[in-house]
Order: sequence, then C-alpha cells, then structure tokens
Amino acid sequence: MSSSNKKTQRQRKKTSFISPRRILIIAQSTVTQLVRMKVFYFLAPIAAVFVGIQFFDAPWYAGPEASQPQQELQMHKNLCLGTMMLFSSLFAIVSTALLIPRDIEDRTLYTILCKPVPRLDYLVGKLLGVMAVVFIALAVMDMILVVTLHFRTGAVLADLEPYLQKLGWPQELVDEKLDEISAHGPTMTLQYGVLAYFFKASVIAAVALLISTFSTSTLFTIASSVMIWIIGAAQNIARQGLFEQGGLAEDSGPIAKILATLVSLLFPDFQIFDSVAEAATRAADISSEQILQLGGFTFFYLAIYTVLSWFVFSDKEF
Amino acid sequence: MSDIPAVEVSGLVKDFQTSFRGPKLRAVDNVSLRIEPGEVYGMIGPNGSGKSTTMKALLGLVKPTAGTCSIFGKDSLKVDSRNDVGFLPENPYFYKHLTGAETIKFYGKLCGMRGAKLKHRIDEMLNLVGLDDARNRALKGYSKGMLQRIGLAQALVQDPRLVILDEPTAGVDPSGSREIRDLILELKNRGITVFLCSHLLEQVQEVCDRVGIINHGKMVRQGKLDDLIALEDRTEIVLENASPELLDQIHTLVDVTYGVDMISEGNPRTTLEDLFLRETKPRRTVTKKRRKRTNS
Repeated sequence: MSSSNKKTQRQRKKTSFISPRRILIIAQSTVTQLVRMKVFYFLAPIAAVFVGIQFFDAPWYAGPEASQPQQELQMHKNLCLGTMMLFSSLFAIVSTALLIPRDIEDRTLYTILCKPVPRLDYLVGKLLGVMAVVFIALAVMDMILVVTLHFRTGAVLADLEPYLQKLGWPQELVDEKLDEISAHGPTMTLQYGVLAYFFKASVIAAVALLISTFSTSTLFTIASSVMIWIIGAAQNIARQGLFEQGGLAEDSGPIAKILATLVSLLFPDFQIFDSVAEAATRAADISSEQILQLGGFTFFYLAIYTVLSWFVFSDKEF
Repeated sequence: MSDIPAVEVSGLVKDFQTSFRGPKLRAVDNVSLRIEPGEVYGMIGPNGSGKSTTMKALLGLVKPTAGTCSIFGKDSLKVDSRNDVGFLPENPYFYKHLTGAETIKFYGKLCGMRGAKLKHRIDEMLNLVGLDDARNRALKGYSKGMLQRIGLAQALVQDPRLVILDEPTAGVDPSGSREIRDLILELKNRGITVFLCSHLLEQVQEVCDRVGIINHGKMVRQGKLDDLIALEDRTEIVLENASPELLDQIHTLVDVTYGVDMISEGNPRTTLEDLFLRETKPRRTVTKKRRKRTNS
C-alpha cells in the first residue's frame, strides 16, 4: 500500500464535472444488476406468444380469398409491437423506480457517493444502464418478431400466389400484389417502429428517474410514472380538444391557456412515438429524416429530465 | 506533522426539519474538531448524539446548516475531497449480485483505477481483509463479518489518506472484531489517518490517539486519550519490590530506602467506559442528585 502511495497521490487529479468513463462503469454495473435480477426471464413468455401467433389464423382471415391478405400480417405486427411497447415501457418504469430507492435504502449509495463520483455521473449512468437493458430486451424481441413474421409472410405469399394464378391474373399483376404483401413483412420500416418504442421507453425511464430523485417510495415512483405515461399518451387528444377550433381553451381564460401550454411542455407527447410505430404496422413510408427528428426529440426530453433530476438529486441529503 | 489537517470541522451545525410546520431538530450543535494526518481519532456518543450526522457532513452526504468541513484542506462538499477518503458505513450493504472481487473492482474503477494496477490491488485488498477464499462468491452468501471486511476493502481500494469507519465492528463476532481492530492498528502503522466511530469503548481505548465525546449534538469532551482518562485529583506511585510495611510511609521513606526504586509517578487512569458514562449521564439523574444535596 505504502509503496504505491506517492505514485497514487500524484495521480489524484481534479475530478472532472462529468466523466464518460465513470458513467460507463455505473451503466455497466446497472446492466449487470438487472441481468442478475433475472429480468430477461420475461422474454420467455413473450417469445412464446410471438411464436404461438404463428400457428393461429386470425378469425377474420379468409385465406388467399381475402380481399386484403396483408391484414393478417398487420395484425401480427400490431400484436407483437404492442406487446413490445407495453413491456419496454413498464420495464423502463419499474427498473428505474427500483434502482435508486434501493441504493438509498441499502446504503449502497453512501459508498458510491463517498468515492469521487459526481451525482450527475451516477444519475446518467443509472439511466443509460436501464436504457441498455431495454435496448437488449427489444433487440431480442425484435429478432423473434422478424423471424416469425418472415415465416408468416412466406406462408401468406405461398397461399396467395397459386390462388391468384388460378384466378387467371397475369404474372405481372401477381408479382405486384406479392410485392405489396411483402412490404408488410420484416422490413426496415418495421425496425423504425421498434426504434420508436425504444425511444419512448427511454423517455419514460428518464421521467421515472426524475420522480425517483424526490419520491420517498418505489410505489409512488411507479404510480406517478404510469400516470405521466398515460397523460403523455393522451396529451395529443387533449391538446386537440383544447386548442383546435371550438376547443375548451378558446372559451377559457388566460390562466387555463397557460396551464394547458405548461402541461403540454412538461409532459412528453408519446403520441409522436406511437404514430411512427403505427406507420410501421401499416407498412407506410417512414423516412430516415423522420427518425432523426424523433431521435432529436428523444434526446431533448432525456436532457431536460436528466438536468431536472440532477437539480433535485444534487441537494438531496442522505 | 503537516500544517494541513486531515480533517477539520469548524462550528458544524446541522438542523433537520422534522415535519412541514414543526420545529427544527438540531442534530449537531457547533461541533469543531481537528484530526492531524496519521492520527486515529475516535468519536463516541450515545445513539442519536450526532456522530453519524457529523460523519455524513464530512463526506458531503448532508449539507451543514452552518460551519465548514474539510478533508486535507478541501471543502468536503466538493467531489475532489473524496479522492483521499475511504468510508465504511455502519452495517454496509453492497450489490449482492456481485462477488467479493467484483465489488472491489467496481469501487476501484469508480476511483479511476484500471488494468493490471487494479487487478493487483484487488488481490492485495482481498488478502488484507482475509477474503481470498471467498473472492468469487456472491455477496449474498457472505456473513455479516465478511460484509464488514469487504466494506473495509472497498474503503481502502484507492489507497486513501483518510479512512472513516462508522461502527466497523457492529454485529461482528469477538474474533472478527479483534481482526478489525488489528487492521485499524495496521492502518495506523502505515500512516493512514483513521476517523472511527464506535460503541465499543474498549476498542476505541485500544486504538485511538485522540477521542471526542459527543452528546446531544455537542462535543462535550475532546483530547488525547491519556489526558482524558487521567484522574487529575489523584496521584499514582508505582513501586518495585516494595514491602507492605513501606506503603504507609512511602512518600517520606522512598527516597531514603535502599533497594526500592520509584518507577513512575503520575495520574492513575480510569477507563474510557467510565468516562463515557459519566459524561453522557442523563441530565435528570444529575438534577436529582443536586436536589438531594440542596435538601440535605
């Protein structure tokens, strides 16, 4: 110990305000913690659901005779993406809500903050750790979705092609129809939809992080985060009702208008993410610019909520 | 000794708001202390006397209402000050999913250590606290004594100049307690400053150079252990080969008696435990005694 003492003293530099290396260490530790808490076990039933869908036809599916056979694939995507959204969002809330209060209760936080670790590094590290686990979970679910959808699309196409040929469709039209159906298979658009849900879960995790910095219990953090999640999902409808022609805010006073504007600024509009995922389900065109914009929007909310969390957490006493 | 103290707490006051409109609770009331580099300082006091709050203020976990705390001259509210500190909280809990070696690695990395140096340090620390055999076992399988020892290892991982130990032997069996005591003495020999907070007064007496007694948030006594436990109104004479007959007239005869040597003369010592109990005796007992005296 003493032999390296002088060397160590010399190496003790000023602790930087924020350190990507320290953040990475905390994020890695968070991932390890969640993985060893066996959180990935929930992927097993989801995988079973995704694979199980393969073997069942939707009740309304009329086989190749259906006027819109792509509906079968849309429903497959709808169900799988919906499950992914639900699990990623709930997972982001619960894991974030559990981590910080548990560190405080167990006094693990004392030993971390008593090392040269700025509180901002700790918060960002925890958030990135949760985001990494959500990303891994979504990536695994996405892989299963792609594989099952590939087989499902193949089955629909295999049914449709001889049927159309039997009806006497010219090969050119048959190919066109098959291309149209293939667009509902595992495409890049579908990946954009999954990415939109990852962004959504990240913003939800940041909201839960902010709440957990001042909340006194895990239950309160989870309940409040779920409430914000619901408000965020319904915000678009509320805004339309308030501000559009004939909306409530038109008749209300300036205070109501200010309040409504504040709510729309404070609570993230989750409809933006959902609309991209819906477009992915419909196999509509999603441009890379749209995804970049969505990424920018996500980053903006992550930054806002992290800074707010830091303001609260930096003055917190333990 | 260096001019810069290892720890300097000046006029520390800490109030806590107990309820929204209720009065503030003063946990620490104008506490000042100074620990020189290389010293082992023991802070003792009853439960709720303000020991842990003082430690937390020193570690930047709570903000002082008034006063300042510094570690090797650096304001303890600044993150920089923690480069030189290792802290072992009372009944520490670490990430239970990590193994002993992973725990030390995690804390070492947080302190900026890496590579071969960190690997070597992990081995050194596990060896120091005697957990070589349990290095790959998850902490959830550790006993309380083992957790305390791994806590000590993480506190020492970055080779700090100051180690703060809050009840390091809490819940540890007598042999484990003795090992921790030996470890503190080892740290002292290596020139590391130790700020210790313990209920085991005998242990404090064994390892500490200076002691502070805190009660109701106030520092009631502070100083060198030898000075504190000296009974100043009595004199102790230690004789060698003295016969019982000599004892009555010892003071007058000792100088002229052939074959009897005076080894030392000074103040006999009480125990730290007696001193502690006397200084932290509940006020009502004192008041009752005063009343009795007044009546008589």
